[in-house]
Amino acid sequence: MSSKAKFSLLCWGALMPLMVVILFPYATMLSTALKRKDEIFQFEISWLPDGLYLGNFVELFVNRGFGQAIFNSIYISVGATLVSLLVALPAAYALSRLKLPGKSTFRTYLLITQMISPIVLIVGLFRLFAYLGMINDLNALVFAHSAFYMAFAVWMLQSYFDTIPKDLEEAAWMDGASRFASFRRVFLPLCLPGIAVTSLFTFVNSWNEYAMALTILRDGSLQTAPVRIAFLTGTLYETEWNIIMAATLIATLPVAIVFASIQSYLIRGLSLGGVK
Amino acid sequence: MQATQTNDLAPSGRRARKPRESRNLSNLVFILPSIALSLTIIGYPIFEVLRMAVMDVNRFGKIRGFEGFGNFIKIFSDPVFIQSSWQTLIWTVSVVGGTVLVAVPVAIVLNEDFHGRSIARTIILLPWAVSLAMTALVWRFVVNGDFGTLNLALTQLGLPFNNHPWLADAQSAFAIEILVGILVSVPFTVTIILGGLTSIPVTLYEAAAMDGATRWQSLRRITLPMLSPFLQIAIVLNVIYVFNSFPIIWIMTNGGPANGTDILITYVYKQAFAFGKLDVAAAGSVVMFLMLLCFSVLYLFMTRNRSTDG
Repeated sequence: MSSKAKFSLLCWGALMPLMVVILFPYATMLSTALKRKDEIFQFEISWLPDGLYLGNFVELFVNRGFGQAIFNSIYISVGATLVSLLVALPAAYALSRLKLPGKSTFRTYLLITQMISPIVLIVGLFRLFAYLGMINDLNALVFAHSAFYMAFAVWMLQSYFDTIPKDLEEAAWMDGASRFASFRRVFLPLCLPGIAVTSLFTFVNSWNEYAMALTILRDGSLQTAPVRIAFLTGTLYETEWNIIMAATLIATLPVAIVFASIQSYLIRGLSLGGVK
Repeated sequence: MQATQTNDLAPSGRRARKPRESRNLSNLVFILPSIALSLTIIGYPIFEVLRMAVMDVNRFGKIRGFEGFGNFIKIFSDPVFIQSSWQTLIWTVSVVGGTVLVAVPVAIVLNEDFHGRSIARTIILLPWAVSLAMTALVWRFVVNGDFGTLNLALTQLGLPFNNHPWLADAQSAFAIEILVGILVSVPFTVTIILGGLTSIPVTLYEAAAMDGATRWQSLRRITLPMLSPFLQIAIVLNVIYVFNSFPIIWIMTNGGPANGTDILITYVYKQAFAFGKLDVAAAGSVVMFLMLLCFSVLYLFMTRNRSTDG
């Protein structure tokens, strides 16, 4: 065995306890989602389901209106991603490239918006949206999420913009391109990967948000996926964990895959922008 | 600093600067949308919370009159509020402390070059991708006394935990919630520390090795000191996040049994949306604000120190 292989075993061994605790609930989720109801409540519970039973998923979408919750979640997450990009892109560009009076004040301001948690403000947020007539309006969540996730988007985008050499744009101006044309033709294509990662990060955050969605969307048909699923535990006479775990699996798996794909960028983005 | 300021005031300097300054001012257009959005969604609710905290508000949100400090007196004389405050302290200190204790060694291992490192990183960061609400829900099932998989696993290992109702007792419920809290805070913390580790120049370790330093010595003398600014920031950010963490406790125990797992945020939420005491809830929020403000000032102070250092 080579020394690197030995060392790798050592590393995996050191990480193993934490990994077991992390993966244990997912194993539970998966095995329960594929079980029939009576398999959960029987006296001798087992790990593996008797067979691949997909009835829980059918039940969710056909009889529990889970499709609607997924739609609501997608609407809010896509909307929040677009709105926060719309306001964060110019701000990040200005921070990275332009002379701006009060630049450091703006940075501090962004930090402050991150320190105020939506949940501490929840009473005020509820009043704001009640005043605007937007309780039970999916768009309220679009704006709320985009406002709270905007600062992170600005940081991530700015740290990405900073890595793109200024010379390229300047060369384009030299060749007679206008400032806007050079922004669109030279700068924007170069930072597409950064924009993509930022969008995905915002999307995942918005998708997973619970407290604001719980409070502002009071109507059952407007609930987002996480709220709907948590709601399932409280409303049924007996908690049907097989259905709930199937729903958690659907709400979790796609975003977990998205997240895994951008994870290495996050390490870089955070160390460059958010923390510095 | 002083010199440039007096220079600005000189008439000649001002005239020369004017066209450039007005162009800089027009650059504010770039940051205006972000300021407008956050002022509306974050700024206005702050104003509302501050206003309601000193008003007498009925359960439908109608303001009936000025209350002064009455709402604050009400919460400070509520034993549940005091109990929740202590529990918030235990919750925040245990979760943040536990997170740092787990995250530092994990990040150091993940920074090493070994086979399958990217898979290991993905698994460790996985809880970050999952909604806190979903994690809490799955754990609620895992620790379920009658058919949860934790008791199943423990029983199969020969331990006497058959049908043990973990969430029925406030102490064991709170302990489990703290463990879940640590689990979901580790990924973010590992990410920050990994960022710090990658910023340490390799040449430092090479020089140390040249001078005959062991791995352990360079860990203690180079890695940990170089990490300390990142650690400070990880701690303060985590304090803010954990202090405000709502879904884990709300979904797993709803603050119960008998308020034994209530923290300030669940206390405030219950005041507002279960008991309809919007004014008392607002006062509770203000108290939480003030507590967080101390941490925020600490955070700004620390980042400022760092930017002048570097």
